[in-house]
Order: sequence, then structure tokens, then C-alpha cells
Amino acid sequence: MALVEVIDPNDPGKPNRPQTYQESNRDIIRVLLKPSSMYIAALLLTIAMMGYGGWCWYQQIVWGMGVAGITHPTMWGVYIVTFVFWIGIGHAGTLISAILFLVRSRWRTGVYRASEAMTVFAVMTALLFPVLHLGRCWQAYWFFPYPNQRELWMNFKSPLMWDVFAISTYFTVSSVFFFVGLIPDIAIFRDHSRGLVKQIYGLLSLGWRGTHRQWHAYMAAYGFFAAFAAPLVLSVHSVVSWDFAMAPTAGWHSTIFPPYFVAGAIYSGCAMVISLLMPMSYLFNWHKYVNTWHYENLAKMCLLTSGILTYAYGMEYFVSWYSQNPYEQTIFVWRATLSADYGWAFYLMVFCNCIAPLAWYSKRMRTNPWSLYIIAALVNVGMWMERFNIVVSSLAHNFDPATWWQYVPTWIEVGILVGSAGWFMFWFLLFCKTFPAVAITEIKEMVTPPVKGRLEA
Amino acid sequence: MDAPAIRIKAVYAHLDCLLTGIERLKKAGYSGFTVQAPLPRHEIEEIMYEGQPSHVRWWTLTGAITGLATGLLLTALTHATWPMINPGGKPVVAIVPFTVIMFECTILFGALATFAGMMFHAGLPTYWFDRALRDPRMTDASFGITFLRALPKDKDRITDLLRQSGASEVTTGDDTVYEVPNDG
Repeated sequence: MALVEVIDPNDPGKPNRPQTYQESNRDIIRVLLKPSSMYIAALLLTIAMMGYGGWCWYQQIVWGMGVAGITHPTMWGVYIVTFVFWIGIGHAGTLISAILFLVRSRWRTGVYRASEAMTVFAVMTALLFPVLHLGRCWQAYWFFPYPNQRELWMNFKSPLMWDVFAISTYFTVSSVFFFVGLIPDIAIFRDHSRGLVKQIYGLLSLGWRGTHRQWHAYMAAYGFFAAFAAPLVLSVHSVVSWDFAMAPTAGWHSTIFPPYFVAGAIYSGCAMVISLLMPMSYLFNWHKYVNTWHYENLAKMCLLTSGILTYAYGMEYFVSWYSQNPYEQTIFVWRATLSADYGWAFYLMVFCNCIAPLAWYSKRMRTNPWSLYIIAALVNVGMWMERFNIVVSSLAHNFDPATWWQYVPTWIEVGILVGSAGWFMFWFLLFCKTFPAVAITEIKEMVTPPVKGRLEA
Repeated sequence: MDAPAIRIKAVYAHLDCLLTGIERLKKAGYSGFTVQAPLPRHEIEEIMYEGQPSHVRWWTLTGAITGLATGLLLTALTHATWPMINPGGKPVVAIVPFTVIMFECTILFGALATFAGMMFHAGLPTYWFDRALRDPRMTDASFGITFLRALPKDKDRITDLLRQSGASEVTTGDDTVYEVPNDG
């Protein structure tokens, strides 16, 4: 058998590629060493943020929803804005792990595991908000269909019910996909650890030993997961957008919402991957595996989706003008009036989402760490502002002028927003320290396999 | 009475040697051995399964069809039982709005069935693998071929084939168990 023909030589063009399987194992396993003081400080900061958010939630439970700024007509405020924001953040992970897997994109290897973790933790964070928004959080189980004696069944024609199904499916499928990818890598951690830690990793690796039977089933299942996750990632934010677009509210009732929301979600998610991986790469010394090549590709993804988003913003204005619908025209003119209640939010959104990323058309800016970090942070701010702009302005300036109202978030809502960021970062930091946040097995696939030479069978 | 079956294990540092070893074993008519690798290699899959796809796909298909049916039945029967929930004058059983639920259930059930199928066909979870297969080198950088129950009369022939194919280590019996130094 001519083995030269069956062994695919890997792309030699990328810098600092590991040379051996052992090298990639050792590099990633290093995260299990004693944590640095910077890591501990970051973890404590996230715990403090979570504590503050938890205290604010406690205040809301004790005193009722009155402590939040939401009131008629703006019954959706920071909680729903932040819910949509975190769901959007989750999209890049599945896009990178599933869609880029199906199209065999090579640059995903270094970043996909951390992006998948980001997806799972972002959806975990988002799932807090419907419960927070509910007020009586102990009745959250009412969201789900179950037989009961009150004859309270779900309205499956409501986009809110679609959302429950879309997001719970997304969370479940993303978590399973994430866990399946982790199994062989946890087995590596198991075989490089001792004592109780070894037993815990042994339990989590499900007894993985890398037999041909295991790899055969694993690779088939992985492909199917990717094939399921790819349409799912596109559907979830489409369904989220229908929470708005199905309502006959001016500024919401638009067929452009699904692609517009999906592009925005991928945009914010890719920017968040840059924001998270740059400090993590520094903290855990992953430069060999996550470097400028990956950041530049993520920046290119952001540029594409930023262009789609800018087009969607423009198209909203064109359609409101072309429709000759006075309510649509009024809301869009009002949103863009600088002196109006939320004019600042609109212009901040346009600057962060449409103008700031234009700098990335220059390769020098795309490969400069400061430019990458600052613009990615601006995109995250801009994407939160976009959701604020959509959710709040349309409700605050509805059909009946007698009900117009300027919604201002209270410190309780801001505290919960800060707490949610702490909750998200806490899980992410913990994951990066205890699990392989860079996919060791896939990194090994990039290493030229060890061969002795051509042998005849 | 027949002599008890014995274990034979070969450890390879090179992929091409492993593939040669598998091919020579198959040509000699041996089967029932386990190949271990630290990463998925399509060359191993091709030799071991000769292009036969995994049965996991049937689990996926069954799960997806079950999900689609569940989504349809859940929505249609709910609204048929409580027809008062009828916003916007839509038909009681309105397929278009139910499509979203049906789609999500298809994906959910399909993915969960795929996971169950993977676990079943990969033999997971298992914590009772033979000790010869619990070799940490196989998740690090080495490849392996292990016979858990080789006939004693085949021992010499198999070990010769494995050695000649370029195995860096061939062991039999209790020697196949890798001793982890200072393991807690």
C-alpha cells in the first residue's frame, strides 16, 4: 500500500504549528498548573460582579418589579435587551464550530472550542433573563408544556412559544455538541493527571480510549451534530427576531428582521470571541494556537456581517419611506433625531457597528492587537445598543402619543446586567482553567503524522 | 482442554507502520483486534471499515423523524383539545406557525438520538475496559493494535507480523498492561 498517497500533508504555511502530538498535548495541559495571580484576580472580580447582580435580583424579588424601570408602555427594557444580546453572542460559537467545520475551514481549529464554550455560557446567561423579567421567578416552569389541572396549555401560534422551543433546543444541542467534542480531550487530561483529579476526568471522559470503534462512531456523530447545528444557528435568531417582527408595532413589524438579526448575532459573537480570546491567549500562553491569523479571520467575518448590518439599517429607512406608512416613518425619524430621547443610542450604535469596524479594511489594523481589541469592544457595545434601540424606542414611542414615555434603566437593572457579565465570565474563566479550551485532538490533526517511510503491505 | 486465550499488544510510533500492521493482519486472516489512535485518521477508518458508514446515521434519521412527528402532534393535539387559543383567526391546526416547533423538535430529537447512537456504537460510557487498552500513550502520541483474546497457537505468528510491520513494542500476556509510574 502506498502510504504516501493516503497521508494528507498538512498546510505548512502557518506559523508556529506544533511539530508533534506530544507538543500539542503538553502545551494545552499547561493550563492545569497552579493559577496565576492575574487569573485569580479576574475570577474574584467576576464573583464580585455576580454577587452584586445577585443582590440586585434579591431586591427585585423582595420589593417587586417596581424597582426595575420597566413600566407601561415600555414593558420590555434592559432584561429583554440583554437577553437578545447574550443569545446573539452565542451564535458565533456554533457558526465557528459547525458551519466552518462543514466547509472545512482550517482556521477554526484554534478558536472553536473556546467559541463553543462561549456559546454555551452565553445561552446560560441569556436564559436567566426571561426568568428575571418574569418577576415571580419561582413560576418559571410555566414556560414549558406539561399536563396540568388548570388547563393552562401553550399557544404554539405565539412567537414567544417558538422562542422557548428554539432557545431550549439551541442550548441542548450546543451543550451536547460541545460535550461530545470535549470527550477525547478530557481523556488526554485524565491520562496526564493523578489522584482525585484523574478520577474526575476519568468519569467525564466516559471511559474514552481512542479505539477504532469509538472514533468511527464519534466522527459520524460529529458530522451529524454539525449538520444539525448549522441550520439551528440560523433559525434561533430568526425566531428571536419574530418576537418583535410578528407584532404590529412600528419599527418591529418587518420581514427583514430574521437575516438582519442573524447577521447581527454572528457579528457580535465574532467580536466577543476576539474580546475573550485575546486576554485568555495572554493569560494561558496560547499564542502558538490562537494568534493573529485567527484574529484576522474573525475580523474579516465581522467586516462581512457589519456590511450586512449596515445594509439592513439603511434598508429599514428606505422601506419606511417607500411604504408611506406614517407610523413607520415617524418612529424611524424619531430614532435618528439626536435631540430625541434615544438619539444618542442610535448614533452610538451606528458608530460602533457601521463606522468603527471600517478600520479593519486595512490589514495593518486587522493585525494590530490594540485595534482588534478596541474595535471588538466597541462592536459589543454597539450591538447591545442596537437591541436597546429596537426594543425600547418602538415601545416608548408607540401609536398612542398619550402613552409616550422615556424609559430609563434603574440601578437594579444595570446591576443585573453587570451581574450577568460576571456570571458569563466566571464560567468561561473556570472552563479555560479546568478543561481544554483549545481542541487538542483537532490541533493534532494539523500536525504532520509521524511516518517512518514508505512500507509495502 | 484448550489453553486460555492470551493478550497481545503492539505499540506504534508511526502511522504508516500501524497501517501496514493492520493490513498484514487482515491479509493473514486475523480479526477481532482493537486499534487505538490519539486522533481520528481516515486511513485507519478506511482499512478497518472498508468504507462502510457508521450505523449512527440510522439513529439520527429515527430521532429526526420522531421529532418531526412529536412537534406536529404536540402542537396539533394541544390546539385541537383547547381550540379557544386562536389568535388572529388562524385555523385551529395551523401548519405554518407550527412549522417552527416541528423544526425545533426535529433538530432536538435528531441530535439527542445521534448522541445516544454514538454512545451505543462507541460502547460508552464504559469504565471497565481491559487493562491492556487503558494505556495513556494511546491518548498522547502512540498508536496501538491489541488482541484481547488471541489463540495461543497464533501468538508467534501475530507477534512476528506486528514486529515486522514496524511496531516499537510488542508485548503479550500481563506485559501488555502499561504501568503508569507513581500513579496516585
